[in-house]
Amino acid sequence: MLKIKDLHASIDEKDILRGINLEIKAGEVHAIMGPNGSGKSTLASVIAGREDYEVTKGAIELSGQPLEELSAEERAHLGIFLSFQYPVEIPGVSVTNFIKTAINESRKGKGLEDMPANEMLKKIKEKSELLEIDRKFLSRSLNDGFSGGEKKRNEIFQMAMLEPKLAILDETDSGLDIDAMRIVADGVNTLKNADNAIVVITHYQRLLDYIVPDFVHVLYNGRIVKSGGKELALELEAKGYDWIKSDVTV
Amino acid sequence: MSKYTEDDLREELKTKEYEYGFYTDIASDTIPVGLNEEVVRTISKKKGEPDWMTDWRLEAFKMWQGMTEPDWANVNYTKPDFQAISYYSAPNNKPKYNSLDEVDPELLATFEKLGISLDEQKKLSGVAMDVVVDSVSVATTFKKTLSEKGIIFCSISEAIQEHPELVKKYIGSVVPRTDNFYAALNSAVFSDGSFCYIPKGVRCPMELSTYFRINQAGTGQFERTLVIADQESYVSYLEGCTAPSRDENQLHAAVVELIALDDAEIKYSTVQNWFPGNAAGQGGVFNFVTKRGLCEKRAKISWTQVETGSAVTWKYPSCILKGDYSVGEFYSIAVTNNFQQADTGTKMIHLGKHTKSTIISKGISAGKSQNSYRGLVQISSRADHTRNFSQCDSLLMGNECGAHTFPYIEAKNNSAKIEHEATTSKIGEDQIFYCNQRGIATEKAIALIVNGFSKEVLNKLPMEFAVEAQKLLEISLEGSVG
Amino acid sequence: MELKEKLLSSFWGLDSSVEVAEHINDLRGDAIKVFEQYGFPSKKQEAWKYTSLNKIVNRDYVLEPKGDIAVDFNQVKKYFLHDLDSYAIVFIDGVYSAHLSQTTHDGMDICLLSAALTKPRFRAIIENYFNKAANSESMVSLNTAFASEGAFVYIPKHKSVEKPIQIIHFSTGNDSALLLQPRNLIIADENAHVQIIERYQSLSSHPVFTNVVTEIFGEKRSQIDYYKVQNDFEDASLIDHTFINQETESNCSVHTFSFGGKLIRNNLNFSQNGEHVESTLKGITIIGEKQHVDHSTLVNHNSPNCESHQDYKGIFGDQSTGVFNGRIIVDKLAQKTNAFQANNNILISDKATINTKPQLEIFADDVKCSHGCTVGQLDEDALFYMRTRGIPKKEAQALLTYAFANNVLETVKIPELKQRINKLIANKLGVNIGFNL
Repeated sequence: MLKIKDLHASIDEKDILRGINLEIKAGEVHAIMGPNGSGKSTLASVIAGREDYEVTKGAIELSGQPLEELSAEERAHLGIFLSFQYPVEIPGVSVTNFIKTAINESRKGKGLEDMPANEMLKKIKEKSELLEIDRKFLSRSLNDGFSGGEKKRNEIFQMAMLEPKLAILDETDSGLDIDAMRIVADGVNTLKNADNAIVVITHYQRLLDYIVPDFVHVLYNGRIVKSGGKELALELEAKGYDWIKSDVTV
Repeated sequence: MSKYTEDDLREELKTKEYEYGFYTDIASDTIPVGLNEEVVRTISKKKGEPDWMTDWRLEAFKMWQGMTEPDWANVNYTKPDFQAISYYSAPNNKPKYNSLDEVDPELLATFEKLGISLDEQKKLSGVAMDVVVDSVSVATTFKKTLSEKGIIFCSISEAIQEHPELVKKYIGSVVPRTDNFYAALNSAVFSDGSFCYIPKGVRCPMELSTYFRINQAGTGQFERTLVIADQESYVSYLEGCTAPSRDENQLHAAVVELIALDDAEIKYSTVQNWFPGNAAGQGGVFNFVTKRGLCEKRAKISWTQVETGSAVTWKYPSCILKGDYSVGEFYSIAVTNNFQQADTGTKMIHLGKHTKSTIISKGISAGKSQNSYRGLVQISSRADHTRNFSQCDSLLMGNECGAHTFPYIEAKNNSAKIEHEATTSKIGEDQIFYCNQRGIATEKAIALIVNGFSKEVLNKLPMEFAVEAQKLLEISLEGSVG
Repeated sequence: MELKEKLLSSFWGLDSSVEVAEHINDLRGDAIKVFEQYGFPSKKQEAWKYTSLNKIVNRDYVLEPKGDIAVDFNQVKKYFLHDLDSYAIVFIDGVYSAHLSQTTHDGMDICLLSAALTKPRFRAIIENYFNKAANSESMVSLNTAFASEGAFVYIPKHKSVEKPIQIIHFSTGNDSALLLQPRNLIIADENAHVQIIERYQSLSSHPVFTNVVTEIFGEKRSQIDYYKVQNDFEDASLIDHTFINQETESNCSVHTFSFGGKLIRNNLNFSQNGEHVESTLKGITIIGEKQHVDHSTLVNHNSPNCESHQDYKGIFGDQSTGVFNGRIIVDKLAQKTNAFQANNNILISDKATINTKPQLEIFADDVKCSHGCTVGQLDEDALFYMRTRGIPKKEAQALLTYAFANNVLETVKIPELKQRINKLIANKLGVNIGFNL
């Protein structure tokens, strides 16, 4: 589904990604781990189409379609979803209003009519129950004054509503207590199916107890330096990142 | 599209419980440009006004002659030449255009977005003026329903004839003729306007609405609105404004007076969309308006305005909180784009004890526009235990516009509690990217964020108006972010 | 003769015994023309809407004081921060008092403006700085026209002045009514650090009208802390114009403590002319009787990435009047500006008045600007709570007032001064409290 070939990206002329190669197939869960500053969030932003980053080399394809020329919203319409590490506050715009707009704009992008109101309501009800979200929460301003946990839960709620092909969860576990993490993970697991793929970006192994990856990649200095199964995450947890660092002294 | 008939409108109103009271001049003749005593007399005579009204106008004219045009507001414009304006040049029956094909397509696109029917589009573009006549008859249709409750809702000219005792008592009582240059000018030459009286204890069952437009080139529009809510009554009043696009400036100098007697409540909402001038800053309406309300005991006046139009706006809907426990509110959204200039705000004059006022102002500046909030909160020494809360937020879009806040607070009473807050912000790139990532394109994202920013005020508008206002915000800001 | 006429005729008959450069004479000539044209400001002018000078200017003043008047140190000791080792530049009725002063030319110049204006070695500095920050408003021009004496401070590159400088202008009351127009010039060159305490003080209750202009220049990375102590007699009026020009990465704070005087107008103008400049404007005003204190501040954000912080607290008793007129202007070049302004007021008498007008004028979009202003009372619940714990009402009020004004005091960097201000506040509130903040 997602193919990344020799991807180089920089910001303000500083190279962050220095040749990423990654292939993700439908139905798979990939974890990307790595120490701070290794380029994990940059990779997520570049896939989502953030314009601050310049792709200097390489290619990204989603289901065979090159993404380079596409804007962030066009990528979203194709089914790319990024759960933000720091979800953005938009005062005065309610969660419901926002998600309605997002869904209908995506539908418009695909040449579909707006989603009928009753269908929308049903869906909101269903997905908010899945993530144990209070109705009152839905009428609050988007992320405005939300706690860390609320913000992350709201991200997964939006993911549930938008039903993406490829969901990238950037440090979704940060700021979550153990109960909230279980709710979020349960939500993600419920949404997982044979047609979509999930990328979990995390610093710690913790979340991977709940969202079990098929593959684990270690990102260091802008490259994937090690890939393996879920046991790699445990190994990292036990040995720390220094092990990787010393391993790849170049 | 078939002709939108009165029947259609009535049908629409049935389902919406919504009252339209169109107002327009329908004079058939014009007097030459220029202003002198004779012109004032002519206006009064043409309207068949009683002597007291003629005299009142003439006195106002004398006052006006002794005044100079103010220039303290934070706006720059070429002052109108008052001798180059026709003061009684109401639209005649000659269409400005022969067909819609001749009308600026940009304007038509705007109308379409606003959901204005083709017929209405014709009217607004100055195509077929006869429809206006229909509109006036619409007002009379509903007059009957209203009169059953004793509510008077008519043009001010009619009120001068039919209800002279009310007009005589209240006109100029809140906005004296000497109040300011434009109020004096209006008092001398006002062409028409609306009059509304809600009797004691009556709750007006529907929204009353006036729809103003400037039709003719080279005219000034000077309408006069007088709303009187008798004791324990309630009325919600809507005012909509549009003007066709022309490349010369047009002058609009209205006076609105509200009187809320003991325990009465007036809610006055305005969506102002006069032609703002084109993207090069040519043309547009000079909107110099004096709006003020007087609150008696426990009365409440609430001004809500969405200002997206006009080349220059100079307007401070105000409340004189005379009666104890009276309440004044001001909710405003002012959007400026291209070369627009707005200097708007309110004055809350606390005279009575335990009076309360709230000011929420949202200014959005884009393009090369300048947007100022100017407000006064005045607490007199007798006004014990008064309370004011003001919040003025500005949103800047782009780096060529300006957002300014000039709040004046004058407190002479030590039991007053006054709070004023102001912030300035921009639409964050991270907000836009977040929306983009969820599939929302940048232009839509901006509309969404602006609506969110303005929400506290939009919420104060009657439902029907709120929808229109939201669309207006969107249209006004189109193309403002590259 | 009207004061304006008197000033004009005095100007043309000005004793030019002090030889100054040609361009200074030109400046004075231009300045007097401005004053001649505009005269004293009136309430019709927006900037003077709430402050009338009528009562001050309709009076006959002596313009040229008699000269050297001996004042014994013990007589004026209390107006110094005497427990503090400091430099001092002291004037009596506008004339330099050598025996009360402690000046220096050792590695820096802490001396008199008259010296700087006349001595050739200061010529370049005067040409670079004198009247370069001041504007040409009428009252400023009036000062410029007559400017000949005041404090001059020049701190060269990388020099940190080891002790504060006190600038004190005394008036004795030996002339029936006196008009003083001091002019101070302060320059902190690159990376220089200096702290200054300034005071205008009458020695007895007599009419004195001081129209002072102070120009302050903070070059790159300089650090200037300026404190104004205003606690004069009830017949003394002060119109203060302070102009601060700041260059890249400089930091300047001005604290104004207004506790006394008849009428005080503080015009405080900051101009940020380089990036990463920080400006702090703070003030505490506690007045009563018929006193009038007007703070008119202006911060011109002309460059990107700068900050300004304003915090003014006012407590107004009796029939006093407070005015706060704060302007923040953010130029379109000044992206990433952070500008904050707060003005909080308490009216403690039903005859007191506060007029406040915090203004934002913003021409750049990527900025964080906010202002807040309040008028209110001391927290009744807190007062009651304290009284139930045995604190008498007056002391409780004072304590709450301290709390109210606290964040203004906390940035005062000279402990002795902080203590002095604490005492003045306690005095002003009529309490004796055994604590310091």
